[in-house]
Amino acid sequence: MKTKFLRYLLMALLVIGIIAVAGCSSDSDSASNESDGESGGDSGDSEDRMELRVFVPTFETEPPTDDSPVLKAIEDYTNTDITMEWAPNSNLEDKFNITLSSGDLPHIMYVPSKSPSFISAVEDGAFWEVGPYLKDYPNLSQANEIILNNSSINGEIYGVYRSRDLGRNGVIIRKDWLENLGMEEPTTIDEFYNMLKAFKEQDPDGNGQDDTYGIVVSKYEGPWDVMQTWFGVPNKWGEDENGELYPYFMDDNYLEALNFFKKLYDEGLVNEDFAVMDPAKWSEPVINGEAGVQVNVLDEGHRIQEKIIDAEPENADPITVIKAVEGPTGLHNLPTSGYSGMLAVSKTSVKSEEELKRALDFLDKMNDEEMQITAENGFEGTHYEIVDGEYQSKLEDDAALKSEIAGFNQMLMYIPEAKSLSATSSPLRQLEEKLKVENEEIVVANPAESYISEIYSKKGQQLDNIIIDARIKYIVGQIDEAGLEEAVELWKQSGGTDYIEEINQLHQEAQ
Amino acid sequence: MENVHEGRLKNAVNKKKKSKWNQILKEKWLYFMVLPGLAYFIIFKYIPMWGIVIAFQDYSPFLGVFRSDWVGFEHFHYFFTNPDFLRLLRNTFILALYDLVFFFPAPIILSLMLNEIRLSFYKRTLQTLVYVPHFMSWVIIASISYVFLTTSGGVVNELLAKLIGQEINFLSSPDWFRPMIIGQIMWKETGWGTVIFLAALASVDQEQYEAAIVDGAGRFRRLWHVTLPALRSTIVILLILRLGNFLDTGFQQIYLMSNSLNRSVADVFDTYVYFVGITEGAFSYSTAVGLFKSIVGIVLIVGADRLAKKLGQGGLF
Repeated sequence: MKTKFLRYLLMALLVIGIIAVAGCSSDSDSASNESDGESGGDSGDSEDRMELRVFVPTFETEPPTDDSPVLKAIEDYTNTDITMEWAPNSNLEDKFNITLSSGDLPHIMYVPSKSPSFISAVEDGAFWEVGPYLKDYPNLSQANEIILNNSSINGEIYGVYRSRDLGRNGVIIRKDWLENLGMEEPTTIDEFYNMLKAFKEQDPDGNGQDDTYGIVVSKYEGPWDVMQTWFGVPNKWGEDENGELYPYFMDDNYLEALNFFKKLYDEGLVNEDFAVMDPAKWSEPVINGEAGVQVNVLDEGHRIQEKIIDAEPENADPITVIKAVEGPTGLHNLPTSGYSGMLAVSKTSVKSEEELKRALDFLDKMNDEEMQITAENGFEGTHYEIVDGEYQSKLEDDAALKSEIAGFNQMLMYIPEAKSLSATSSPLRQLEEKLKVENEEIVVANPAESYISEIYSKKGQQLDNIIIDARIKYIVGQIDEAGLEEAVELWKQSGGTDYIEEINQLHQEAQ
Repeated sequence: MENVHEGRLKNAVNKKKKSKWNQILKEKWLYFMVLPGLAYFIIFKYIPMWGIVIAFQDYSPFLGVFRSDWVGFEHFHYFFTNPDFLRLLRNTFILALYDLVFFFPAPIILSLMLNEIRLSFYKRTLQTLVYVPHFMSWVIIASISYVFLTTSGGVVNELLAKLIGQEINFLSSPDWFRPMIIGQIMWKETGWGTVIFLAALASVDQEQYEAAIVDGAGRFRRLWHVTLPALRSTIVILLILRLGNFLDTGFQQIYLMSNSLNRSVADVFDTYVYFVGITEGAFSYSTAVGLFKSIVGIVLIVGADRLAKKLGQGGLF
């Protein structure tokens, strides 16, 4: 009996001992990390690698594992030991907020937007302000001032933005339909309307059936935002003659834009089920020859084109793209914000300034040409080859190869510019690139882009929904002009009035 | 005399107490085996429950529960005075009421119907078939609904156009949102809901039916006087349990079926907690909303239980 008891006691002690050892070892791990950071102030050359956990989105169902040779190459180049934490893009915001609320943040964290939860995390001191350090790094120091300001929180920078073109929005048109009808690309809103009307009524695909319509829109409300900009509606905030800012839906042109949308809906020029259509299927009607127009990012043009050619090889040149069409106040387009999220450095994992400098060194090196090519294109001979001086990817038909690399480009910031390799440009791709540059002339800036409103961070989603829902309801005829005004009233009462006041105050302080 | 009696009583009580302890001691290993289960409930159910204190704080994940500021009932006050509150309450209540009125009786009726089938092979097959929808996820049901109900080529609307010459936009019309939601729930869960009722029906003594037949009772008389009374206590217990979840409208389903056009009727507490809590990161506030929902649930379940006891039915507690 006694020996039995002793045996149990020993067993219990053993278990406790193991737990204690495990606890201690993890402690000592982090301790050695800290010393890593200190000894590696001059980074690069020292043997001990900085441990980095990196949180980025993925569009793949099976993202690369940490054994990937591409990741090994990145680790060798940047002298780090990386653990990837992939978040599926479809529920990125949720995953981001949940990671934030866990309090245990990865070293490098992708921040999708200046969401309220990110801002409150910044206020609680979860991330490093990296602004003052950027000048010390060869690539990061060349970051674009305007985009830095756009991505800042009231002027302070809490993450390195991932650069994207400012003028990505455009209109994708079935060129073969235009040619069948003997029409030109539209240049004004009226011509745009006539084109849509012809696409519906004049049998543009020539099959003798009334089975086509003008423009396809999905549940995603982006196209309405772009099209209302053509009418002269400001981007989020407009500025009146006294220098006061007002929200876009209080602009005089807003109702005119909405009436145009309503006309499109009433005449069946836009798909009737747009308010419930799955955005993932948005391009299908254009590919299948049901709809003739899509307002989307320009690069969707060549993707649609390739799919149409796959399906009907004799249709060699079915797509064209334009920037925008001219409205009553001239030619305008809605910019994309110039960046797609930021890479922020967390204070919970990166504890000292020394470590921060090493983390920034990693981010800086990810902008080197070699890293851009490694992370996006892979290794020459393995993932791609150069034939006659032209880049050819080998990933398309090799899933195993693709799973070694697909997604690492999410760690790239392309500062000051993209240096990775891209496929030989088809005429359409060249046109897309040209229009992106031209777009920068006509995009409308949001004067309040960098202002962080406390009210908006508290109930921005609810406020936005009131206006967005009212717009859709007006288009389909569920409410009339009075209903639209009611929605604006509700918006004001729900905190909108204070929001306007707060933004204007920030605006004056910034002047 | 009286004293003697009292003394005996005391003795008996003492004995009872003693014997109870003795019994526990005797069966200590059995009680010991309960411990893991008990530990599970304490560690994973009761301790996390303290998390609701953040409903009274201005909680920030980086400061943690211990260092966040206390704000008392501020979040509740904000919630109840918010213009959203009445809309959410109305939407949730109407949906819950529809659920109770239309969905709750459905499995009872179906199991009565199944019970009347005398061909046992046919009955079993049918029973299995009606369980199937239960195992489909809401995502699949939402996609099925979309394919069937869409106005661009959905089967239902093409049929409607032929029959009554008019299409109905089920997916985006606020008027059709609630019927659609209840319809989906009925399609998915009615069959599964019959499990418990069929079990209760299986325990009905066949002699009662035979006696009723001898007395000259027809099918409906037998249903009314034998079958239904046998189900009564099951129905009451399920009703009480259902009331406890009265405000649970099922987040997934509503989230998947809502859009800009029907949001005015589709916003319920569950989706609100998600939007405010997860997408806007207002953890304290959404906890307060969730807590409010739970309190309503407790009040309803206790109230229904008392009522059932008053009406002469066995309650839960």
